[in-house]
Amino acid sequence: MKALLRNPACLIGVLLVVLHLVVAIGAPWVAPYAPTSLLDAPLEPPSATYWLGTDDLGRDAFSRLLWGGRVAMLVAFAAGIIAVIGGAVLGLSAAFMRGAFDDCMLRLVEMKLAVPTILFVAIFVTGFGQSIPILILAIGIIQMMGVIRTTRAAGIVLMEQGYVRAAQLNGESGPKIILRELLPNVADLMAVEFALRASSALLLVSALSFLGLGISPPTPDWGLMVEDAMALLDSEPHLVLAPALAISTLVLGINLAAEGLAEALGLDAARGGASG
Amino acid sequence: MISLILRRGALSLATLFLLASFIFFATEVLPGDALDVSLSADEVAMMPPEVLARRKAELGLDRPILERYLGFLGGLLKFDLGRTIITRAPVADIVAMPLRNSMALAAVTLLLALPVALGIAMAAAQAKGRGLDNAVSGAAIIGYSIPEFVTGLLLIAVFAVWWPIFPATITASTDDPLSVLLAAAPLAVITTIIGSIAYLGRILRVGMIEVMASDFVERLHLSGIPRWRILLVHALPAAVIPGLSAAALYAASLVSGIVVVEMVFAYPGIGAELVRAVTRREVHVVQAIALAAAICVVSFNLLADLGISALDPRTRNA
Repeated sequence: MKALLRNPACLIGVLLVVLHLVVAIGAPWVAPYAPTSLLDAPLEPPSATYWLGTDDLGRDAFSRLLWGGRVAMLVAFAAGIIAVIGGAVLGLSAAFMRGAFDDCMLRLVEMKLAVPTILFVAIFVTGFGQSIPILILAIGIIQMMGVIRTTRAAGIVLMEQGYVRAAQLNGESGPKIILRELLPNVADLMAVEFALRASSALLLVSALSFLGLGISPPTPDWGLMVEDAMALLDSEPHLVLAPALAISTLVLGINLAAEGLAEALGLDAARGGASG
Repeated sequence: MISLILRRGALSLATLFLLASFIFFATEVLPGDALDVSLSADEVAMMPPEVLARRKAELGLDRPILERYLGFLGGLLKFDLGRTIITRAPVADIVAMPLRNSMALAAVTLLLALPVALGIAMAAAQAKGRGLDNAVSGAAIIGYSIPEFVTGLLLIAVFAVWWPIFPATITASTDDPLSVLLAAAPLAVITTIIGSIAYLGRILRVGMIEVMASDFVERLHLSGIPRWRILLVHALPAAVIPGLSAAALYAASLVSGIVVVEMVFAYPGIGAELVRAVTRREVHVVQAIALAAAICVVSFNLLADLGISALDPRTRNA
């Protein structure tokens, strides 16, 4: 932990993430107006009453900015948890069983390389409708593939260890070995994976919202706010820049923290980064 | 080498078959289709059930899913992608030109971004751990933390609004020649290139550092060959292989990025078609776009794979 905070880039990352979390959690108490209430004053310039002015429907842009990360973060973190837990269980099982199951997992991971993530989620949304649970599930599944790959590789190394052999010779069951011997030893890796998956899930969900395939109005959301205000870029640039800056600083914060964490844990962070 | 090409080709076909099946079932397993979306609840209530049933039967939406699946696969073999549900237009006609335009954008992006990323990665690897390398790593992490639509809008704000030297959005139409289209879209191209350089540069930097730390480079160094010469004459060819595999890894992300960038700049590619099709639940159009993208990425991966095998005999048994 100390090594983590001595790395200045990592410290900045952690601070950015903490700041965003505090704002997201505190938004209902801090925001001066309700994020969806129409204030009868469209496109007000920034002022003491409306810090960032109002949008084209007369909603307070600053309040929407404070609220705008909540749902996206919820989706990204939930998808990240699904990806890491599901991926670790499948990846370690593949490392433990090898054989046909392992081949299946490798095929799945390879297939993911051929599917652009936005298309994957778009296919899900077409088939199952546009809703938050579907978004979480679709993003969680696609992100899981990368976790399967890294935890499987780590698991194969662990399978050679004496204590795993000992557990096997003691006649312990497969699930018990996977959960008790393998899983705790990839906890570091899972923490880094969670951060990387959450940051790319966040990029993905903002892009989907921007396209109109993610979070639906009237929910205040950064991606949607950017899309809404895009046409006003020449007259009201702050309405685009504020949510854009919010998304970018949050993703940057998570990535910096992940990089620092990986370095502190001696893991290979630069293995290609999170794929969009 | 020929048996290798056949084996990898068959594997790619198997992947495509699985992807096609996934695309079909994910989009059609639940009831509900473009007809339900295009008709309001009132209209459905007003419409006599037999009329609704007849329209569904015309579209083949009442058949059991396995029958539809076999029809879908059969159609694919004949390059028949079906028709749209509402307007009955052939899907192939709708998708063809936007697909061409998107592929052109992707090709230009890769051709321009790969050499630049390689150059940056080499410079960074050369200065490993020192100022330049840290600056490159820092820029890369910022680069891939910013969503493409934000990069695009920032470029519009700077180069189309405050200092208007480029058009903000694209006025060329879908059927224009590619040269006209790409010339009208400088900011869109720059946006995809920036994202690509951040992604590729990061992977390639690792590859270059590995190359520069290898024994053969050390040997050359010890025999007194100047560093720049090692870098350009000996390490650069060795970096083609990591470059190819980075580009293969990147292909799918590039498609995602392009969908978003097209929407920012109103570039007439598959992005707008995809979003329109998903919101209207034009299932066949979504399927066609997803399949086309999968075919592009899989063939690109196959080519990169074969290229790597041709250059590096060690990978041939893998």
